[in-house]
Amino acid sequence: MLAHQSARSSASTGANNAIISLRNIVKSYPCGEETFYALKDINLDISKNDYVAIVGPSGSGKSTLMNLLGCLDTPCAGKYLLANKAIEDLREAELAQLRNRSVGFIFQSFNLLPRATALTNVMQPLVYRFIPLKKRLAMATEALERVGLKNKTQHFPNQLSGGQRQRVAIARALVTQPDILLGDEPTGNLDSQTTQEVMSLFDELHNEGHTIVLITHEQEIADHCQRVIRLVDGQIHSDLRNH
Amino acid sequence: MYKNLLAVYEGSMAAFHAIRAHAMRSTLTTLGIIIGVAAVIAVVAIMQGLTHSITKQLDDLGSDVVTITAHTNREDMLLGFENTLSYHDFESLKGKVEGLEDISVSMKAFSFGASVQYGRNVTQTQIIGTDSAYQRVIRIFPEAGRFLSESDDLRRRRVAFVGATIVKELNIEGNPVGEFISLNGEWFRIIGIAEKQGTLFGFDQDNYIIAPFGTLKSLSGEQVTRNVDIMYRPKRDADEEKIKQQISLILRKRHNLTEDDPDDFEFVSAERTKSQFKAITTSVTLVAGGVVGISLLVGGIGVMNIMLVSVTERTREIGTQKALGATPGFIMTQFLIEALVLSLFGGILGLLLGYGVAAMLALMIPGLSDTLVPAWAILLSLGFTTAIGVLFGLAPAMKAAKLNPIDALRYE
Repeated sequence: MLAHQSARSSASTGANNAIISLRNIVKSYPCGEETFYALKDINLDISKNDYVAIVGPSGSGKSTLMNLLGCLDTPCAGKYLLANKAIEDLREAELAQLRNRSVGFIFQSFNLLPRATALTNVMQPLVYRFIPLKKRLAMATEALERVGLKNKTQHFPNQLSGGQRQRVAIARALVTQPDILLGDEPTGNLDSQTTQEVMSLFDELHNEGHTIVLITHEQEIADHCQRVIRLVDGQIHSDLRNH
Repeated sequence: MYKNLLAVYEGSMAAFHAIRAHAMRSTLTTLGIIIGVAAVIAVVAIMQGLTHSITKQLDDLGSDVVTITAHTNREDMLLGFENTLSYHDFESLKGKVEGLEDISVSMKAFSFGASVQYGRNVTQTQIIGTDSAYQRVIRIFPEAGRFLSESDDLRRRRVAFVGATIVKELNIEGNPVGEFISLNGEWFRIIGIAEKQGTLFGFDQDNYIIAPFGTLKSLSGEQVTRNVDIMYRPKRDADEEKIKQQISLILRKRHNLTEDDPDDFEFVSAERTKSQFKAITTSVTLVAGGVVGISLLVGGIGVMNIMLVSVTERTREIGTQKALGATPGFIMTQFLIEALVLSLFGGILGLLLGYGVAAMLALMIPGLSDTLVPAWAILLSLGFTTAIGVLFGLAPAMKAAKLNPIDALRYE
């Protein structure tokens, strides 16, 4: 009960400067004769410079929510505004452009192009924006500098450690200056020490004003964030602020 | 437009990366196209080279010259009849037909060939009896000495104008002009040596002896009804059909042919030989082209196959690209270009290989001095490979473009 109130209150207070606004979102899949509800009536606002962890047991709808937030998928019902843009009616190509402009993805297994150098990997999203090569190089170099990999620009992913690879991926997410950074278990493939490194990088980015949403099942990660949203059975069970 | 070009550029870059990363696989994949294009180029090069060299030889021979010969149809021939053209036929045409630069007559004396003797050396050759106009009609020039003159014919002099092979075969040392040779037992004085002609279809063009028509006629017992060939050279820009009509009219009248009778003579020209030959090479080229088209099709299927494998292999990569903001159009362009580059790569390798094979064959086939690859063959094969790349790249590219990013990202 408390959890629902909390969710509603944050929804109403943060509405004005919300980067993400979900209203009565439903996502369902046909499952034989019946319908399986992955997300049921989700209401959620995330404002600028929020640092959010979405946690919950497996099957709770975390991944579905992340796919929706990242504009990889559209809801069956409800309204989703990302940076004041409704995504329900967008076509595939428009969704792609929106992802490119507004979302910076960070994946659990990094998803770097194996045949491309760190620099080329970071430039990749700029290619889809048709930015000229010279400018692309400058932007990508700057992003790699930001994550502390200035001297690794010409390295291929297999020449980098796990932590370094994830930092390349973070640089790739940063380079487009997106509205939100969206991490899907970003430390899932890292050991505890590298996890610390990567998490402190997220902390810094938050302090610089970035909006960060992390999907995780590790309490340690959730503790880094300011706000923890717990999903259970496709519904928001609690929405709490850490500090 | 600008964005499309950029998509093409980025697509090409991605394609080159992918092809370079799998150099071996790419080469094997395009083997079908390589062999197909190489075969097209080699076949076309050989056929064109052959046509070219034969046309050139025929031109040298004098493609303008038309020969009138007697023609006997099959049935009459079986009944034992044989139509002839006589010296009188020639005389009836001489000076009567408009549009002729020159007209001449020739007969083959001793139809089965004659033996020629000089000292102890003997050789077999063909003896042609003709007049002085022959030189101007056939355009045959003396290397040394002179050709027959009008008076040689009128006075039935025993003189001979000989081809280069004769001089060689008879082993005449020093200047052959003025030497005496024996033709079937009759003595002739050599008055000129012909310029070397070389070979045509493998036949020696320099193995002949030309003697005055009158001389040979008297030697063979004044048989004026003997079969002759009449040859003429039309004037430049003359209407060839009109010339043939005039000649037909005169000859048909002389031969007492009724309206229903077919001609008992025919016109033979190098032009006709040339067009017959061209028809043969064209059909050979077309058949070869068809066979090769099938091999290119098989090559295209190879490209499609490897592209489908590539799309499956790179499913996660495509998912990542989509998550980062690549539109379906961009992905489609990228894979389409990859297929295109792959098949063009095969096309260009095939082109080089085809050139190599053609050059090697040119060295091995005698009489084929140079091979020729016309621009249309190059454009056609590259155009065809491009079309195959697009056609067979379409399905894999669409498959990639349609991938659901969520499923693609989850793909293991």
